[in-house]
Amino acid sequence: MTSFTRRPGSPVERLKRALLPAAAALALGISGCSAQGTSDSGSSASGGEIVIGAEQEPDCADWIATCAANIWGSYIMRTPTLPKAFDTRETDDGWRLVPSDLLTGEPEVEITADGKQIITYSINPDAVWSDGEPITGEDFVYTGLQVRDGDDIFDKTGYTLIESIEAPDEKTAVVTMSEQYGLWRILFSGDFQVLPKHILDGNDRAAIMKDGYDFSGGPWKIDSWVRGTSVTLVPNENYWGEKPKLDKVTFQFITDTAAAFQALKSGQVQALYPTPQLDALSQIEAGVPNTNIEVDPDTGNSEAIWINNEAFPFDSVTTRQALAYSIDRPAIVERLYGKLGVSEAQQSFLSPLNAAFGSDEFSRYTRDLDKVDELMTGDGWEKNGDGIWAKAGQAAEFRITSHAGNKRRELTEQVLQAQLEEAGFKMTIANSSGAEIFSKLAPEGDFELGLWTIIDTVPEPTLSASFTSTAIPSEANGYSGINFVRTNIPGLDDLLTTVDRSVDDDERIAASLEAEKLIAANIPGIPLATVPNILMTNDRIGGPLQINPSEGPFWNLEKWTVG
Amino acid sequence: MIAYALRRLLYSIPVVIVGSFLLFWAVRLAFDPLGKLRQSQDPTVVAREIERLGLDRSIPEQYFLWLKGLFSGSWGVSTRTGGDAMQMIAGAAWPTLQLIFWGVLIGSVIALAVGVYSAVNQYRVGDYIFTGASYIGIALPAFWFGLLLIQIFGVWPVQALGAKEPPLYFVGLHSVGDSGLNFDYIRHLVLPVVTLTITLVASWSRFGRASMLDALSSDYVRTARAKGVPRKRVIAHHALRNSMAPFITVVLLDAGVLFGGLVVTEQIFSIPGMGKLLLDSLQAGDVYVLLPWMAVVAVAIIVFNLLADLSYAFLDPRVKLR
Repeated sequence: MTSFTRRPGSPVERLKRALLPAAAALALGISGCSAQGTSDSGSSASGGEIVIGAEQEPDCADWIATCAANIWGSYIMRTPTLPKAFDTRETDDGWRLVPSDLLTGEPEVEITADGKQIITYSINPDAVWSDGEPITGEDFVYTGLQVRDGDDIFDKTGYTLIESIEAPDEKTAVVTMSEQYGLWRILFSGDFQVLPKHILDGNDRAAIMKDGYDFSGGPWKIDSWVRGTSVTLVPNENYWGEKPKLDKVTFQFITDTAAAFQALKSGQVQALYPTPQLDALSQIEAGVPNTNIEVDPDTGNSEAIWINNEAFPFDSVTTRQALAYSIDRPAIVERLYGKLGVSEAQQSFLSPLNAAFGSDEFSRYTRDLDKVDELMTGDGWEKNGDGIWAKAGQAAEFRITSHAGNKRRELTEQVLQAQLEEAGFKMTIANSSGAEIFSKLAPEGDFELGLWTIIDTVPEPTLSASFTSTAIPSEANGYSGINFVRTNIPGLDDLLTTVDRSVDDDERIAASLEAEKLIAANIPGIPLATVPNILMTNDRIGGPLQINPSEGPFWNLEKWTVG
Repeated sequence: MIAYALRRLLYSIPVVIVGSFLLFWAVRLAFDPLGKLRQSQDPTVVAREIERLGLDRSIPEQYFLWLKGLFSGSWGVSTRTGGDAMQMIAGAAWPTLQLIFWGVLIGSVIALAVGVYSAVNQYRVGDYIFTGASYIGIALPAFWFGLLLIQIFGVWPVQALGAKEPPLYFVGLHSVGDSGLNFDYIRHLVLPVVTLTITLVASWSRFGRASMLDALSSDYVRTARAKGVPRKRVIAHHALRNSMAPFITVVLLDAGVLFGGLVVTEQIFSIPGMGKLLLDSLQAGDVYVLLPWMAVVAVAIIVFNLLADLSYAFLDPRVKLR
C-alpha cells in the first residue's frame, strides 16, 4: 500500500489546499492520505541500517571550494556532519533561520556609530568535535578567514564584508563587518558551515576534505565515500545533541531514474528523493507499493519565464504585460504537477522558502486575451495575415531557450507555445545545454525568453543578484552578474539593497514588499511554478519524515528509524 | 613480430597527440568548466576561477601546459572534483575492464558456438531460429533490455513472488560494504554482463557463421572430406581453426571500442566506469579528465588492434607481419 502525504504551506495555503491531497490520491489510485504535519510512519525501534538512493554524487566534500557546488553534497554529507550557526526551521512566520544548538541563543548584533556591524556568537559549552575537542571561537575565525581570503572559494558573498573575526574566549566569536549586512545569518550557516581549526589549520584543507573527512560536529560522521558508488554515515558518538537512532545510513548513487525506482520497488534502497521530472512523475503515477510519498510544494525552487528586457519585442513594458496576460499559468502547473496535487502558479520570484518576504503581486496576471488585444492595439500593434501581432513591419516572433533534453521544460514550452499562438505571438523553441545557456546565451543577452529555475538555498531573500542594475552582465564587467534579463527598474536597486543590508527585519520585509510591487509592474520575468519536492520512503522507515526546503529531506536523519 | 608491434605503437603516438589537441580544442569550445558557477550570486567567482585555472590563456597555450605536465608525470587535476585525473581514470577503468572481460569471454564463447552451429546446420530450423534471434539481439536497445532484465530478475521476484530480496542485483558491482570475487559479486554482475553480451553475441554470431561457412566451403575442407576424414574432425580441426582468425579479429577490435563505449550499461546499472566518467566529465567540461580519458581509450583501441593483427598472423600462417 502506498500512502501519500502532501506538506501544508502557510496558513492560507493550508486552507486553500486542504482538499488537494485527497484529490491527488484519488487521481493516482493510492490511499492512506495524511494531510497535516510530518509523516511519522514505520517502527520507532532503534538500530538498523538503511540504504537511500541518491540521484547525484557530489563532486567533492571541500564544501567551501568551487568543486563542492552540489546540493546533494549538502544533503548527504555537509548537513549531517558539520555544525552551523543557524538552522532552517519552520516557524509561525514560515521558514526562517533560527539559532542552532551550536549557539546558546540568538547572537548579539550591534551597529556602531561609524556604520559597522558587530556580531557576537556565543557557542554552546557542550559543543565538541567528534574527537572530543571543543568547538571554539577559533573555528569561526578559521572558517571565516578561509572563505574571505581563500583562492578556490565557491561564493564569498557576505564574507568579503568581514573586517575582522576574533575569539576573545574559547566559546565566543566576534565578527566585525565593514558595513551593515542584513543577510548576516547566512554566515557560518547556509552553504558554508563551521570547520575545525585544530585539524585543518596549517594543512591542505582541500586534500583533507575533498574525498570525505573523518571529523564531525554533527550527529553523523562519514564512515566511507566510495567514489561512484556510495557514501556511508555512522553516528557521531560525541555529538552533544540528539543522537541518531539508526546504526548506519548509506546513500547509494543511482543516477538513472528508472533504475532508482526499480531499486526502491525491489527493496535495494529504502528511500528516494527524486527530482520531479516527467519520468519520475510517471513512475509515481504507476504506483510504488509499500511506499510513503511525501510531496512538499513549499520549496526553494521556483521555475520562471525570464524575459530579456532589451530584446524585441519585450523591450517595452506593454508587450511584457501582454505576454503575462497571454499565459494560463495554473493550467501549465496543473499539467506538470497536477498528479501530485500541485496546481497553483507561483506569484513571486521569491520562493515559498522566502514567503515571509514575498507577496502575490503577480496574481493579477491571469490569462485574458481581451486584455492582450487592448494592450497591444493600444501600443500600436496590429495582427498580420498570419494572426501574429506586428508593428512597423516587425512581427512579434521570438525564441524561448531552456535546457535541451529536460522533458519537463520541453513540455512547458510546448504548452506555452500553444497558448501564445492563440494570443497572437509566435514563439519558437531554441533549447541548448545548461553550460551554453549560462556561460554564453544568458550573459550575452542572446535570448528573448528563457525558462529556468531560481533557487533559494536559505530563507533569506537574494533577489538583488537577479534584478539590480549593477548585476547586468556586459562586456565591460566580463559578463559577470546574473541579471540576465537586463532589467533596470527605477527605485528597485535601493529597495533590494535595503533588503540585503538592513538588520531591521521589519524594514527589510517592508522594502521587499515594495520591491515585489515594482517587479510585478515592470515584469522582468514571469514566475511560473514552484518545483515540488518529493520524498519516497519504504513503509518500514519511521520518522518524522519531513522535507526541509533548505537542508533537504535528510535534515533530521538522526530521528529516522527502520522497522 | 616484436619489431612490428613496437613500430605500430610508435606510429600511434602522433595520432594520439593530434587527437588529444583536437579534443582539447573541441571541449574548450563546446563546454564550460565554470558552468556550475555561472548562476552563483557571487559576481566575482567566475573571474577568480578563470584566473586560477588559466582559462584566460589561449587554447594552444593551455594544451601545451597540460602536455608539459603529462611528460613530467601529472595527468592533470579535474576541474570538477579537484581530484587527480590519473586516479580517477584508474578508478573508472577497473569496473569497465571487469564488464569487458566477462562480456567478451562469455559473449565470444556463445557467439562462436552459435556461429558454428548455424553454419554447420545452414538453412535448417536451428539456423533460422538463431538468425532471427540475432537480428532481435542486434536491434535491442541496451537501455530497454537492461531495464527489462531488472524488472524480470530484480523487481518481480520481490513484488510478485514475495521474495525477501531479488535473486539478482542491479545497483553497482557489489552490495554496500562488500568486495571481492564472491556470490554477491556474481549476483551484481549477471544483469549488466547479459545486457552487454546480448548485442555482442548477436553480431559476433553472425560473423562466426559467415567465417565458418567460408571455411566449410574451402578447397581444403572439401579435400579432407573426400579423403574420408570424419565430419566432426573436419569441423573442429580444419574449418574451425581457420574461421577463428577473422572471428577473433572482430572480437578484439570490438573489445577495444567497448573500453569507452559502455555508457548506457554503466548508467543503468550504476557502475562507475569509463562510460560514466566520460558522461560526467563532458557535462562539466572537465577537459583535464577528458584528455587522459581519450588517451587511455585510444591506447586501448590501438593495443586491441595490434592484438588483432598479431592473433591473425598467429592463427593464419599465410599472413606475414612486416
